[in-house]
Amino acid sequence: MSALLHIEGLAVSYGSVPAVDGVSLEIEPGELRVILGANGAGKTTIIKTIMGLLKPQRGTIRFDGEHDLLRLRPHQIHRLGIAWVPEGRQLWNTMTVLDNLRMGAFEVPDENAVNRRIGEMFERFPRLAERRHQLAGSLSGGEQQMVAIARALVSSPRLLLMDEPSLGLAPIVVRDVFMLAQEINRLGIAVLMVEQNARQSLKVAHSAYLLELGRVVEAGPAAEIAGKKSVQEVFLGGTA
Amino acid sequence: MDLFLQQLSNGLVIGSTYAVVAVGFALAFTVLRVIQFAHPDVFMIGMFSGMMAACIVPGGGLAVALIGGAVGSTAIGAVIERMVVAPLRGRDVLTTLIATLGVSIILQNGMAAIIGPDPIPYPRLLPTQFYEIGPVLLTLRQMFCLGLCAVLLSLASFYVRGTHIGRATRAIAERPDVAAAFGVDVSRVCRITFWLASTMAGLAAVAVGTLYGSASAFVGLLYGLKAFVCMLVAGNRYFEAVIAVALALGILEALVTGYVSSSLRDAVAFFVLIGVLYLRPDGLFGSYTT
Repeated sequence: MSALLHIEGLAVSYGSVPAVDGVSLEIEPGELRVILGANGAGKTTIIKTIMGLLKPQRGTIRFDGEHDLLRLRPHQIHRLGIAWVPEGRQLWNTMTVLDNLRMGAFEVPDENAVNRRIGEMFERFPRLAERRHQLAGSLSGGEQQMVAIARALVSSPRLLLMDEPSLGLAPIVVRDVFMLAQEINRLGIAVLMVEQNARQSLKVAHSAYLLELGRVVEAGPAAEIAGKKSVQEVFLGGTA
Repeated sequence: MDLFLQQLSNGLVIGSTYAVVAVGFALAFTVLRVIQFAHPDVFMIGMFSGMMAACIVPGGGLAVALIGGAVGSTAIGAVIERMVVAPLRGRDVLTTLIATLGVSIILQNGMAAIIGPDPIPYPRLLPTQFYEIGPVLLTLRQMFCLGLCAVLLSLASFYVRGTHIGRATRAIAERPDVAAAFGVDVSRVCRITFWLASTMAGLAAVAVGTLYGSASAFVGLLYGLKAFVCMLVAGNRYFEAVIAVALALGILEALVTGYVSSSLRDAVAFFVLIGVLYLRPDGLFGSYTT
């Protein structure tokens, strides 16, 4: 079986500053894979490049074997079934929760299908159902993360990109978010997550990459990566 | 008291026309992040294309002029979008500002080269008729102008708040990247929004030409500056705030004309601008950050 997403030799820079320097990685259908890295390692850059929001200097990104993502614009990439949970949520704060979710399925022409999907999200996240008419900006951090995830799921994606979903959340909510990622993955949706929280993310992931200064330095099954000395030193040393 | 009510009504009429132009500015700025300095000249083109339509179509009345105005302004707006704004999208705000300023100068002086630098009489598309509403006296032209602008503003509000594409314009205004990543074809929505703003300006321009009975190649200068001031004073976050400020400015100008002096009228907008920006640099109702 070929990889769902295949990235080869990706190089992205901001002006003359390289952010990602020759990264190759793949994700199989139905897999939950995590990219670990510190601030500035290039994690968000990889996600944004997959989404078509940044143009790389070199490299290829193929989806489902046949689609060359570098030739597509962001809305076309979304249409292929790739959805994004951005770093720091990035909700439309001046819109209601309901409108945020509707925007998640902007290009789905069938209103009934959209409403059905939104209904499912409200069933899964009852807190959001209660707050459907509130402005997204008025919710708590954890609730906002739920909106960000629900917004990405409304379009029934095949691949979910999660950019530091634990960032800025209370520890108890962080655990919920990782459980949720696992649950989404078990529904058959491939998840590519970038994280700094190695301990929690390695618990739910199947496999992991370790990114340092724009390069992949380790790759392998999650349990194996968790045992690496470099990972333990950088990410697991002493913190909870 | 009668003078007050009269000037209030006159101000409302003028304010509604400022509102239509200001909303066009605001749509272009919030959705495309472009200061469309040629927007008032799109308005001016609409005024003249409406006039031309009324003159060349035999028996052409107000309806023909409105269609002509809408077609002319939309066409010129579409050309500006295609040739100037779209190629420069994503660049610095100053780049498009200077480019559209260039377009503005070309349109103004191009039109002046054709019809001359002085105002010319506008066709009498509506009869001279007065209506007394209590103590207030309004002309048919004023009432038509106010009514048309009210309809245009309601439609614009419906577009932004009530339609699928309108929701996308708000999404783009707040977070263009996220909107694109969630399936919004940003270029397409920008294009449609730009066209709509131009159409609105052209329709209002015909009503304004009829109201004043004259048209000038440079009508956009002061009109545009005042509409621009309305957007800055209101901030670009709430569409309705821009309308409210435009109406308030029209009323304020009419009151200054009535009670102080008409020569001070045009200075009012800029006094207000300086005062508001001094106290609230983001505008009275807040702005999206760029």
